Amino acid sequence: MSLQIKVPEVGESITEVTIASWLKKDGDYVEQDEIIAELESDKATFELPAEAAGVLKIIANEEDTVEVGAVICEIDTEAKEGSKSSASSDKKEQVKAEPKKEEKKAEKEESKPSSSGSGSKKTGEVHEMVVPTVGESITEVTISSWLKSDGDYVELDEIIAEVESDKATFELPAEANGILKIIAQEGDTLEIGATICKIEVTEGGAPSAKKEGSADQSESKSSEVTTSGEETYATGHASPAAAKILKEKGIDPSNIKGTGRDGRITKEDAENAEKQQAKAPEAAKQEEKKQETPSAPKGERNQHREKMSSLRKTVARRLVSVKNETAMLTTFNEVDMQPIMEIRKKYKEQFKEKYEVGLGFMSFFTKACTLALKEFPAVNAQIDGNEMVFSDYVDMSIAVSSPKGLVVPVIRNAEKLSFNEVEAEVIRLAKKARDGKLSIDEMTGGTFTITNGGIFGSMLSTPIINAPQSAILGMHNIVERPVAVNGEVKIRPIMYVALSYDHRIIDGKESVSFLVRVKELLEDPTRLLLGI
Amino acid sequence: MSKYDVTVIGSGPGGYVAAIRCAQLGMKTAIIEKYDTLGGTCLNVGCIPSKALLDSSEHFHNAETTFKEHGINLSNLKVDIKQMIGRKAEVVKQNVEGIAFLMKKNKIDVHTGVGSFIDKNTIKVTDSKGKATEISTDKVIIATGSKPVELPFAKFDKKRIISSTEALELKEVPKHMIVIGGGVIGLELGSVYKRIGSDVTVIEFLDSLIATMDGTMGKEMKKSMKKLGMDVKLKHKVTKVENKGKEVEVTFENEKGESQTIKGDYCLVSVGRKPYTAGLDLEKAGIKADERGRIPVDNHLKTESDNIYAIGDVVRGAMLAHKAEEEGVFVAETMVGQKPHINYKLIPNVVYTWPEVAGAGFTEEELKEEGRAYKTGSFPYKALGRARASMDTDGLVKVIADKATDEILGIHIIGARAADMIASAVTAMEFRASAEDVSRMSHAHPTYMEAVKEACLTATENRPIHM
Repeated sequence: MSLQIKVPEVGESITEVTIASWLKKDGDYVEQDEIIAELESDKATFELPAEAAGVLKIIANEEDTVEVGAVICEIDTEAKEGSKSSASSDKKEQVKAEPKKEEKKAEKEESKPSSSGSGSKKTGEVHEMVVPTVGESITEVTISSWLKSDGDYVELDEIIAEVESDKATFELPAEANGILKIIAQEGDTLEIGATICKIEVTEGGAPSAKKEGSADQSESKSSEVTTSGEETYATGHASPAAAKILKEKGIDPSNIKGTGRDGRITKEDAENAEKQQAKAPEAAKQEEKKQETPSAPKGERNQHREKMSSLRKTVARRLVSVKNETAMLTTFNEVDMQPIMEIRKKYKEQFKEKYEVGLGFMSFFTKACTLALKEFPAVNAQIDGNEMVFSDYVDMSIAVSSPKGLVVPVIRNAEKLSFNEVEAEVIRLAKKARDGKLSIDEMTGGTFTITNGGIFGSMLSTPIINAPQSAILGMHNIVERPVAVNGEVKIRPIMYVALSYDHRIIDGKESVSFLVRVKELLEDPTRLLLGI
Repeated sequence: MSKYDVTVIGSGPGGYVAAIRCAQLGMKTAIIEKYDTLGGTCLNVGCIPSKALLDSSEHFHNAETTFKEHGINLSNLKVDIKQMIGRKAEVVKQNVEGIAFLMKKNKIDVHTGVGSFIDKNTIKVTDSKGKATEISTDKVIIATGSKPVELPFAKFDKKRIISSTEALELKEVPKHMIVIGGGVIGLELGSVYKRIGSDVTVIEFLDSLIATMDGTMGKEMKKSMKKLGMDVKLKHKVTKVENKGKEVEVTFENEKGESQTIKGDYCLVSVGRKPYTAGLDLEKAGIKADERGRIPVDNHLKTESDNIYAIGDVVRGAMLAHKAEEEGVFVAETMVGQKPHINYKLIPNVVYTWPEVAGAGFTEEELKEEGRAYKTGSFPYKALGRARASMDTDGLVKVIADKATDEILGIHIIGARAADMIASAVTAMEFRASAEDVSRMSHAHPTYMEAVKEACLTATENRPIHM
């Protein structure tokens, strides 16, 4: 796939820029975020980073003046590193990581006496792999699992680990052929750009059962003393700035795992030390408490502690901030579900046959909401600074529980979709959610949310707004209740519905009317057809 | 009455740095200075003016001794001491004005006069005309520095028997300057006058010059000073100094107790400095100086009085401008609840003779005393391309590392630009680098710093490249 790189918006009033210089040549392999060109506007010079890794195809030449938004180059993201010509200026020198056939042959012919059947040879180069940029607003990721073990031989592009961010899980491919040295452990949370692992680059494929040639080892031994991650006298030594920070936080440096050379504690380590540290004293406290307990209660009383996943932490942070930062309240209503249930009963088979998806409640609710949102645009709006943003489309967020927790994928332009299209989209997104395969794009940008606590049996609840949206509709279980219909007590399938909304932007009249409208549309689905 | 969060007494490198850091941290800050110009000893009569004269005299010395070999011929080369001292004064002026600017920039109130405690929160400032004002302050930092030590039998008359202060203001090139004390100040000022034509005799009581530094440095220093033409007398004890009007007579005894008298036109007494607290009325703040005149402080540089701190030459430790600066920052940060740290072992010692001398970390003598197993590696300037190019081939770098772990414990340099080079040594040791670590870092070629790398290679596995 080829990615077009356009001149970015660099500031108000700047409409065109001049290409001051290309730092990479046409056909070079470029890394994501690597600076590939310098651009000049009439106000400033700035750098242009590659938006993806791949082979560069230059379109606009040096000294060309191009408009903002114009395409200046393309990056062929599918081209392998091997296809690059000689991007030797790349500091990581991955070029060497490529097993060059000729060299391999020469290697064999040389037949070092010490190579003892080993097909591979360390180049002495260590490739450091860092957490890649996975999306805007994502600042840290958690290593969910290592698929390869420390010391394993890994091949270029082989998936070596699974990493999760608060929005998605993604796979981490090896960036070179060689021996894997794991640095970040499973469960560790790392910032973008932090080192995950190192690969001791080798040439000539996987080593055979026997270990590296002994000569090789002794050769590199002296350097390993200082460069490898082994414990040395300096392990755990805090740099001057780090020492000050740790002292101020009241953290003993011996409790910190340094990421600096030979485990030295860097300033960054000290700055990040808090979280892990919080655990230790708590654990200690817990122990103390145990000892203090005068008479131990009978029965097993085990506890266990788990680190919060990034997703959990993000959810927690956002929910609290919504509670704190909005004027949230909830309005309720009840919906007689009989008409919808009748329609479903009547058309279930036909619908399934024709569209290959079941006719569920979601499509009714989605359609009802999109119609009601059109009539009450404030409910579909959001606050941005001092402005209110109204969308004339509905991107419907659907709360879905996944094995990793709550995720909220988005059905785009739900107002334009037919019933079957809504159902199909719900199924597609729910499946992706279960598999943890939702992309960030699929989870951002919703304008309104529907959550269904009813599937777990909830009778009534007050959902929390999915910020920065301003309202959320809560569906609940359907229970047969006695209701008065035309002066008679009837048993009807009733669902309570709740609408939590941000009173800052939505007035009581609008929110209540919106929910009443949804109720009307659901109780008389013909209205959905007619739009009345 | 003005009211401040913190008042600093003394505007030397300890005091003014403390004041700036306090202001940076948001405290309303005042600084009290007895003299008309800020900067204390260091800027007015210490580090800066002595460097100005050292540079001037070294230029002259080079013009006289090495220019010919460089292919530069001069005639009528002579010293204009008036100009030399005048230029020095201009350098000082620029620096002290710089401090005044920094005070203004950081909104620090400068009070000129002698500061004395009325109580621990009130300070009286008495200016040169005797007019007194009072300052109320929450906290105080005492940074009053030090003064040259006087010998009981050689009181400063400031004419023939002089301290470093007068030695920076001479109006003539002395015929024979007798220097008592072979420490940093004596050797620096002795060098100045030796280079511009004086005979210089240095008399030192101990068996080594710059005795607090690594022994190798003292030995090499003696060689350098002798090469410069200084008469260096170690293990000699001065017994009498007499101002004879146009001459000064100095009598001393050698090791065997044999007495000898020499004559010169100036006698520079540079046997050390002592803490200066005169006029502070410390007792009113509940503070008592110790038997050596120092203000006792705890690990946080706090005095016996809770709100009063003291830093620099007036407290324990080496009397160095950069030590005082670190302490100034330390105290300011401590006051606002931060927890800074000073690694005193890594405060470098520097001597600005030529070649320069600089050292940080442990000396070989200290490690011997401690019984710690160590190894050393040295590399001479002679073997450096850079040094040959500039004809600065005197000197060496000595690296001392732990025998087992290879951790660098001390680096000592005598040679051109040692004073600037020592910062790298401090960096390496602050991060507890091993000798091999430094050996594996790229050092630009050709530079004097290559000698450090080579000395590290020597210390690591005795495998220097250029030896």
